[in-house]
Amino acid sequence: MRWGLEGVSVHFGRKVALDEVTVPVDASGITVVIGGDGAGKSTVLRTLVGLVRPDSGVVSRPPKRATGYLPATAGLYADLTVDENCKFSASAYGLRGADCERRKNELLEQVGLNAASDRLGGQLSGGMQRKAAVVIALLHSPELLVLDEPTTGVDPVSRSELWRLISGVAAQGTSVVLATTYVNEAARANSAVLLEAGKVLAAGSPEAILRSVTGAFGSAVGGSRPTPQSWRRGAGWRIWAPSGVLPEGVTPLQPDFEDAVVVAELVGEAR
Amino acid sequence: MTFLAEAAGISKCFGGVVAVDSVDLVIDEREVVGLIGANGAGKTTFIRLLLGLLRPSAGTVRLFGAPPSTATRRRVGYVPQSLGMYADLTVGENWRFASAAFGGRCGPMPDGVAVREASLVGSLPLGDKRLVAFAIALAHSPELLILDEPTSGVGPLGRARLWEEIRETTDRGVGVLVTTHNLEEAEQCDRLVIMADGRAVLSGTAAEIVGDHKVIEVRCRNWSKALAVLERSGFAVQLHAEVLRVVGPVSAVAGSLSEGNLDARVEVVTANLEETFVALVGNR
Amino acid sequence: MWAMVAKEFRQLRRDHRTLAMMIALPILLLVVFGYAANFDVHNIPTVVVGPGARASASLLRAPFHVVEVDRAGNQSTAEACLRDGKAVVGLVTGDHGITVFIDGTQLFSAQTAESALAKARVSEEAAGLASLPVRVRVLFNPRLTTSWIMVPGLAGLILVFVGTLITSLGVVRERQAGTLEQLAVMPFRAWDVIAGKIAPYLIVALIDLIVILLIGMGIFHVPFRGNIAVFALGAALFLLVTLGLGVLISTVSQNQGQAIQLAIMSLLPQVLLSGFIFPVSSMAAGVRWISYVLPLTYFVEISRGVMLKATPISSLWGPIGLLALLGAAVFGLAIARFRRDLAPSTRVPQ
Repeated sequence: MRWGLEGVSVHFGRKVALDEVTVPVDASGITVVIGGDGAGKSTVLRTLVGLVRPDSGVVSRPPKRATGYLPATAGLYADLTVDENCKFSASAYGLRGADCERRKNELLEQVGLNAASDRLGGQLSGGMQRKAAVVIALLHSPELLVLDEPTTGVDPVSRSELWRLISGVAAQGTSVVLATTYVNEAARANSAVLLEAGKVLAAGSPEAILRSVTGAFGSAVGGSRPTPQSWRRGAGWRIWAPSGVLPEGVTPLQPDFEDAVVVAELVGEAR
Repeated sequence: MTFLAEAAGISKCFGGVVAVDSVDLVIDEREVVGLIGANGAGKTTFIRLLLGLLRPSAGTVRLFGAPPSTATRRRVGYVPQSLGMYADLTVGENWRFASAAFGGRCGPMPDGVAVREASLVGSLPLGDKRLVAFAIALAHSPELLILDEPTSGVGPLGRARLWEEIRETTDRGVGVLVTTHNLEEAEQCDRLVIMADGRAVLSGTAAEIVGDHKVIEVRCRNWSKALAVLERSGFAVQLHAEVLRVVGPVSAVAGSLSEGNLDARVEVVTANLEETFVALVGNR
Repeated sequence: MWAMVAKEFRQLRRDHRTLAMMIALPILLLVVFGYAANFDVHNIPTVVVGPGARASASLLRAPFHVVEVDRAGNQSTAEACLRDGKAVVGLVTGDHGITVFIDGTQLFSAQTAESALAKARVSEEAAGLASLPVRVRVLFNPRLTTSWIMVPGLAGLILVFVGTLITSLGVVRERQAGTLEQLAVMPFRAWDVIAGKIAPYLIVALIDLIVILLIGMGIFHVPFRGNIAVFALGAALFLLVTLGLGVLISTVSQNQGQAIQLAIMSLLPQVLLSGFIFPVSSMAAGVRWISYVLPLTYFVEISRGVMLKATPISSLWGPIGLLALLGAAVFGLAIARFRRDLAPSTRVPQ
């Protein structure tokens, strides 16, 4: 583990935000922190970049100059143009000259924003704002890129473009940590950490998490809930039988990653 | 047979801009219809046309078989993305205000809401807020529900729970229209309508929409180099853990990889909903 | 409709800042216009100098209030007292009659003094008493021009407006947009962010100040008789206070609306109770203490003194020292709080 959190606990007043959380971040590849609202994802990311000081545990990170961060809410100044935003970030990180200009144009082109560089941040759509913000965070070629819910509320096409951008830099050796509520994004990670109420419910590669699920799986249709450990999927139900025995009328099937995540949450709740 | 809501060829122009262009859509009882579109696709304008908040420039809108009016609007429940509740009032106060707004014709508070009656809405976690907003929208027993991004920001189990509530209402006969950006959510719907540039470009179930769309799956030990090689050749590559998914003819993809001296397994597979969406709607 | 009314009241009840404003503002205005807003002057500090000082002093009645009798003093002593603000009227006795000097920068006191003297002369003549020749001279602002009094005060008001209100809005905008966090992660030192955010407002305030002064001097012919360096020092220290207050307000506000509320609540008392409009000396004693805690009061004193009376720095150590202390305290607190927002915290993000 090159960077990340190890056994980190964070309290905000009396509220426990993180409880002995370990999030290993390798030197390259994509690490996804997944969880619902209030699970502690933002706190993990903010602790990783140094905005929050942990009460216990160890945090390792590269120096500020080698880190790029995108908070859940903002990313760029609404009253500055995309170009001006880039210039501000560039000068903050000490980038200058033609190289910087070239990198900026390359990145903007990759996400289809080169025509929008003179538009005010506030005039861009949600998806375009996020794309521009990720570009700004990448200008200084950071070693570690930390993105807090970069695709929440973003339209599908922009989401796809953002993932292309992120995958590209991950393939080139940048380490990416991103927080999300979308299970299908966690499935695309090299390593995932599932959080709930400040605790880690599951961690590892998506395959490993899937393999760690025990018990039997099935699906059913109908209006009423088949068992207490059932949840809705589409028009039907998914059933998990920890004992390995499925009830009558349930069609057995192989669980997918989303099932594994829900099971982990159910187990976490039961504790 | 009267649909709960029916839009036939409706269009709306603002000045010279066509926001909605000849859209057909029906919502029947007991079904969940998902309306998906990129920003600027016209979803919000369409919803306002459906609710009668805007008059169409062309085409007809029917709510419960009649043109939209204040009477028919009472039979519709709507939860906007911002949830439409006052953060500085308690759950109980929000409930009573909504009841009064709909003419006091509301049943008693359901348990899920009553247990949080005294909490300020602003202090609730997001999942609870959404459940309360949903309950409030259902308070006056609407027959048609319109939900804007109903599970945005909520985790997987929370999402499943919200969908349980939604399905419970459809089982009782309510028809639901969900608008979303989230294709994961779209897969929960019975039927989808995809809008782009004001037109309904696709409709059907998720499987129908994906149809024959295919992508090339590439598995290679040196996935980062494979990605670089393919991107440089001009392909759009998506990374899923260490597997690449590429849009393009399989021969071209394989050719590119071998040119880069990469040993990779190449397979043609069915595209997922997101890839289909991007292929059909992207880059407009 | 009643549902809307009930809802609005409930929301208002929970909005503490607006409630505070709704209660505090009428009270403030009541206090001001009941007790403080007073153009009547009942007490004019007077010094009497010269050989006939004691005799003349005993003849003086209200509104003149003799604060010093100096037989050895002469015209320059009297003028110095007026310049330093020790007295508003200086009575110089001598062989060739009495000369009364009046401080023209104390507009209402001066007017009251003039009319009191005129009345005295009329009653003397009516009583058939022979009177010594009395000359009256109004110093510093001979024609008692209102604009000459207002412009120096206005300079202070501009500094309050830009320094506090505008600065607080500018700084809180960063917090409201959520970009403050990002600044903390960039390789900025805390000082870069703080100074970088405040500097533009400092510059704008200084430019505004110079423009006001130039306009005052050019169009209203307000004189600038004193030492520019003293004025600059006073302005700099006053800016320290107002900018500090602006930053402080931004650290306790989540959005621009809240910042405006607080800024206005701090601005309004200063406009009304600093001596800018209503003279401090006319305020009821129970209320006068408020003006002594307002920074603008001291700047107005410095500004009027330097511009109109050429008051030297030696007589202004009081207000300057107070501004320095206040500035250090407010600015220091503001910076400390701002640094906290930029440093790793154990507080929930707001």
